[in-house]
Formats: sequence, C-alpha cells, structure tokens
Amino acid sequence: MSTQKPLFNSLRKAFDQNGSLKRLAPLYEVLESIIVTRPRFTATAPVVRDSLDVKRYMMLVIVALLPHYGFGVYNVGCQALLASGHSPNFLRAVFIGLQAVVPIVLVVFAVGFTWEVVFAVIRRHPISEGVLVTCTLLPLTLPPTIPLWQAALGISFGIVIGKEIFGGTGRNFLNPALTGRTFLYFAYPAQISGDAVWTLLIGGKTAAVDAFSGATPLAIAGSMEKMRDVHVVLSDAGYTLTKLFFGLYPGSIGGTATFLCVIGAGFLILLGIANYRIIIGCILGLMTTAGILNMIAGPDSMPYLSLNPLYHLVMGGSMFAFAYMATDPVSSCHMQGARWVFGFFIGGLTVLIRVFNPAFPEGVGLAVLFMNIFAPLLDEIEIKMRLKRRVSNV
Amino acid sequence: MKFIRIQKGFDLHAAGRPSLELQRLEAPETVAFIPKHIRFIKPRLAIKEKDSVKVGSLLFSDKHRPDLKFRSPGAGIVETVHFGSRRILEAIVIRLDSKEEDEIFSSISEAALDTMDTKDLVARIQEGGLWALIRELPFKNIPFYHGKPPGIIVTMGTKEPFEPEPSVYLRGREDLFQFGIRVLKRLTANVDVVLPSGNDAPDFLHKMATHKVSGKYPCGDAGVLLYWTKIDLNQKRTWYIHGQDVLLLARLLRDGRYPIERTVVLAGPDVKHPCHIETRMGAPLSHLAQFGTINGDHRFVVGGLFTGYPEPGNGYLSFHETAVAVLPNDKKAERFALFKPGYHKPTYSRAFISRLNPSPMTVDGRYHGEERACIGCGYCANVCPVDILPQFAFKTIIIGEMEEALKHGILDCVECGLCSHVCPSKIDLAQILKTARADLYKEMVHR
Repeated sequence: MSTQKPLFNSLRKAFDQNGSLKRLAPLYEVLESIIVTRPRFTATAPVVRDSLDVKRYMMLVIVALLPHYGFGVYNVGCQALLASGHSPNFLRAVFIGLQAVVPIVLVVFAVGFTWEVVFAVIRRHPISEGVLVTCTLLPLTLPPTIPLWQAALGISFGIVIGKEIFGGTGRNFLNPALTGRTFLYFAYPAQISGDAVWTLLIGGKTAAVDAFSGATPLAIAGSMEKMRDVHVVLSDAGYTLTKLFFGLYPGSIGGTATFLCVIGAGFLILLGIANYRIIIGCILGLMTTAGILNMIAGPDSMPYLSLNPLYHLVMGGSMFAFAYMATDPVSSCHMQGARWVFGFFIGGLTVLIRVFNPAFPEGVGLAVLFMNIFAPLLDEIEIKMRLKRRVSNV
Repeated sequence: MKFIRIQKGFDLHAAGRPSLELQRLEAPETVAFIPKHIRFIKPRLAIKEKDSVKVGSLLFSDKHRPDLKFRSPGAGIVETVHFGSRRILEAIVIRLDSKEEDEIFSSISEAALDTMDTKDLVARIQEGGLWALIRELPFKNIPFYHGKPPGIIVTMGTKEPFEPEPSVYLRGREDLFQFGIRVLKRLTANVDVVLPSGNDAPDFLHKMATHKVSGKYPCGDAGVLLYWTKIDLNQKRTWYIHGQDVLLLARLLRDGRYPIERTVVLAGPDVKHPCHIETRMGAPLSHLAQFGTINGDHRFVVGGLFTGYPEPGNGYLSFHETAVAVLPNDKKAERFALFKPGYHKPTYSRAFISRLNPSPMTVDGRYHGEERACIGCGYCANVCPVDILPQFAFKTIIIGEMEEALKHGILDCVECGLCSHVCPSKIDLAQILKTARADLYKEMVHR
C-alpha cells in the first residue's frame, strides 16, 4: 500500500498538464483508475451521487463473460483432440485450448486497446471501458483457427469503424464487437465459414480423422437434402438437444455453450446491467418465427422449416448474441417498449436468415446489427407516442 | 382528502438521519443574508458596510421589481458586503449587538384578516420582505402578483433524507400555522396542504391536509403533485410555499415583526447526534456545527442531499434553506474499488451487494466515477417522478432544440436531482435541465 502512493504520485507528474507525457494522460488515467479511484467532489446539486459508474457497469459484463473463456478453452482443446484422433483428457484439452485462445485474446486486446488509446490521445477524450467489453466479446465469436492478423483486423474494424469514428463508446449505433466479426465474415469467408475452420488440428495433421465431423449443427441443418427429418439428421451427427445446450461441439470459441449464456444472462439481469426485455423479446421472437415456419412446413418444403424452435435457440451463437450483444445498452433501443420490439425482431430475423439464406449459416449477428440500425427509429416512435400523452405545460 | 401514490422516485438510505429531538441554540455572533442563492433576482443594495440595522431593516430590493424586498435577519452592524465575480452580491454579514431591536410592522388581527383587501395583504407581505418565500411553478421563480393565482400548494416535506419534520417545527405553533393558511386562503381559494405519508405529523395537520401522497422521494414536492393532479393548463402557474415558511408569514402579519426563527436539521454521517435545531435565519454553519459535535474533516451541504449546494465551513444558512448535511470529506483514493462487492456502497442500481444490506449507509459528496458519454441505461427515466426522459431531453437541450425539449416536458421538471444522482456516466442531467429552464424563464420575463 505505502509503496503505491509515491509511485503513482511520481508517475502522475509526468502525465499532468506540464508533464512531458501529457498527451498520453488518458492512458495513464485508465491504468491508474483500475487500481485506485481518486476522489472527485461534486460542486453542483445533487451533491450525493450514486456509487455505480460506467467502469463497474462494463466490468460486470466482463465478469459474466469469463466462464465462457473457461469453457471455450476446454472446448477448443477437447474438439482438437477428438479431431486428431485422441481421447479427450481434461488437462491436455485445457493446455491445447490455452495455446489457441490466449494468442487470439492477446492480439485482440493489444490491437483494440492501441486503437482506443490512439483515438483518445488525438481526440482528447478519456479511454472508455467499452473497449474492454468489445475486446472480450470478439474472440469468443471467432473460430479457434482464425489467423491472428485477421483477428487484429477484425478488432481494428470493430473499434475504429464500429465505434471511434462516431465519437467513442456511447455514440456508436452498432455493436462494435459484432461489427468487427461481421467484417471478418464478409471479407474472409474462407477462414470464418465452412466445416473445417471450427476445429483446431494438432500434431501437424491437415485433416480431421474420419470418425470426426467438423460440421456445425447450423451447417448440417442448412445444407441437408430434402425428404429427411432434420432432427434425425442432426442427432445422427451427434447433435442432440442436450449436447447443443451444453455446447461441447465445434464452433466459435465461446459462443456454443448455451447453458453459460443462460447463466450469464441471468446474472446480468439480476444485477440490472442487461435488460430482460431484450433477452426475453429475442427468445420470444425466435420461438414465434420458428413456430410459424413449423406450421407452414409441408412434406416437400425445406426440412429446415420444420426444425423445432428449441433447436434454433440452442444451436450456434443465438443465445450468446441475445445475452451479450443484443443487450449492449448503447446500440440497442433505449425505451422499454421499443426494447421488446427490438428483441422480438432480432429473434425473428435470426431464424429467417438461417433458414432462407443458405449463404449465411448463422444469422444472429446480422440480425442484431440490422436491428441496431433500426433501434433509434423504434425509440423515436415510442417517444412520440409517449410525449403525446403528456399534459402540455407550455 | 385525496390519496395519491407516486410510482417513481428513489429513497436513499443515508446514515445520520435526524432524530425528532429539538435543541435550542443561543444567538450566534454574526448572521448573514446570502442573496446569490435566491434565483432570478438582481439586488440593489439599501445599506452599506458599517451601517447599523435592526431586525427587519431593508437590506436590498430587486432592481427590476422594486416591491420585492429583502430584510435583515439580525440587528447590529453590517460587517461586510461580499461581492463575487462580476460584482454578484454574495453575502451581507451582520455582527449582532446584544439588544437586537426589531423593526415594527403593522399587525393584522384575526378578524381583520377576513375583511382585508387582498392587494393590501400582498403589499404587506412584500413590504415585510417575505414575498420571496412563495414560489411559482413551473420555473420556481418568485411570483408576480397579477390577481388570484390558480392555486397554492403548501408542502410539508418531500421525503428527502434530511429535512425538518412538521411534527417538530409545528410543535406548539398550531395557531400560527392556521393563521398562515388563512392568509394564503385570502390569496386564492385553492390552498392545498400536501402531506407525505409516513410523515410523523401532528393531528391537526392530518385534518388540514388536502392531499396525502405516498411514494419515494420527492413525492411530496409541489411540482410532482401538480404534474399528477393537473387537469387544466391554467394550473401550470400554481404557487407553492413550504410548511415552515407559512409560519414565518403568519408571524410577520399576526405579530407585526420580522420573523427570524428557523427550525433546521443538522444531519449526516459525520454528525454525532443528528437532530433538529432551533436557530435563526442566516445562522453561520460553524455555529451549528460546533453544537453538532462532528468528527474530523467534513463538507457542508446546505438544503438537502439532492437539491442543496456545497458550502464552505465559514458559510451561512440562506433564506430558503432549512437543512444542513455534513458529509465526510475523505480525500483518500480508494483502492481496487472496482473489484469489491461493495457491501456498504449506497446505490440505486443492483450492481453492488449493498442491495442486500438493510442498514443505512454513509453517503459522501464524491462523483464515484468519471464523466462518460450517455450509455442509455435508462436509470434516469426510471426514477424521474414526472415522467421526463432525461436521457433524451438533455440531448435536445445540448443541441439547442428548445421546441423538442419543451415537448419532452422539461417545464414539468421539479429539479429533484435524481437523474444526476443515479447516472452511471456522471452526466449533470439535472443541472442541464435546470439551466435550460432558467434560460427559458429569463427569455419569458425580458420579452
């Protein structure tokens, strides 16, 4: 304790107004503020302010995401061992997983943080905590085989185009992490779609062993031939509802574990960080749309149409996006009623993109971004309706 | 009597609530009048330094409204007249003498009150220097008298954590309060006495109350009541006065002397025995504090935790304020606060484990974070007692869209300060709205 104080005091000197490093003050401030919170007293009413700040708000999202990293590391290693013909051993799986995940995370954080510092220094705004959430979210949505330079490019696009050119956290209208992910998806489809990319191969192998199928459930359901029952095909490939729920199958690093998403969503709702209206709206929209598709599905229509709505919910990254991407307070709707509609449409669009668009096996990311664009409009409609009810005071 | 439930608002469980015990203080050495905290006035001084004044002598009047007068809260010598930047009159400090003579005003008997001309009554209140106790919605300015106001709301408390309880300041003053209400009834027929529920009020007040409001802070506020009961646009210019100020008004008119007694709350986590104090208008804070036995370094907040302003230790009570909060002034930086569950952190959100802590918590005057752009959490709209959407309204103000801001209802804002209080981005929402409202008022008056 006593050693920190002189250290900070002498460091602070270099970064203050006359210091030699004054341009880098935002960087120093953010590093300092992680360890100590300097008192700043109010000068205007109300004198008393709430204890919550944006830093804690964002940090709690990161806390909710940490279990996904734990699971993701194990799952990546586990799938790698299976694909290479070994039996999964917990410690070995974790070791392999760490080898794959840690470099991606390090690169994403280093590049993302650098961009944030560059913008903060040039535009003289403080470094916002939002960048940490973005950097935590992005790796979880990537395949473990992603080349590191692509991860770096993805986070750069997400931070710069998704957020900073609009003025930083709070002024962006798209979810930065999803913006980066979607950029990679359209720019480098070879490395982020198909059956091979979702599984890491070890020991110099170039193809998975024959017994292992790297195909994701979304790809299977999207590309199967007609006249077969989609549920049978999925369970033949090993994808039962339980397996999908627990997420031990090839996929993005952290997005497959639906049960963790449910726990994380519950945690964030309980703490008042994520809005339950959006999450429940998403689930309702997804179930309703999938249910309607079930009803219109005939014997010779696409088998995907008749997929049980529950499968849609547990397959791929839908629940992950509902819990952590759709609920981003900045880019989602700000009005309570509009949040229901916003969520409902995300859920609905997710199913529609998945089923009717064979080019995009996963639709949830696009659905969230699409509705992000519509969020201000939905807000505007609700505000108009609400202001009409006010008794005029002018 | 009408019962009204206000849905929104927020109760801060602050430690150091005042007890109902009433302590009497002897006279201080100096008292002061603080013009800078009375909104929308431009003082023209009637005295200069070293003048001797009586209790109730004219100190200054308003430049634009000569009938708006302000009178001395003590008798003695004018010690200093403080001017701030751009020669704003900040304080008039009076060193009290031992005799303390009173200026004599004409008194009104109970019988005469009912037959008296209303204009004459208004003139007497204005001449007596107490017209500024009455305020007009929606701008909270001192009203212009153009005949009957649409109504007068008498507020008996807003459930602000530290504020004087009617049961204390009305103790033994029932007649005076009744007289004051009769005075107000001469101004307009619609006098509403608003009592927040759970308020420990004497029986006669329960009988007099026209509205009982339940809910969280600021449920008893005049603006909140008006917002939820308004049926007619004319009511927007309703006047209001605080319960304790009714006593002052009555004292002036019934007894013919300028009233100076004030029942003030001294409370907060740093006060050893938070309680009510019988003192006088313009008393120095150090005088109150010496009685309150306060530990360590502290900050004074005059006028409530949500609506008051910080004041240095050598400051004075201002004309309208009846609450002094004493908050810790801990300049130590907090370590690893980000990673602590925060069992003792008072909060509106659910992001701290303190939500499970039933005991009152220590509040202080820190921001608890740095300013950020609005992240759209919507906490402000959840607490706003008059249904404003501060997160959108403040943006319309910042970009200068006044029409849009008015549509958002910024004129209904009661300046309770809750939006700023709960904001995790630490945006001064309440201040932005208040400034915009003040600008609108000035525009309106100088048209």
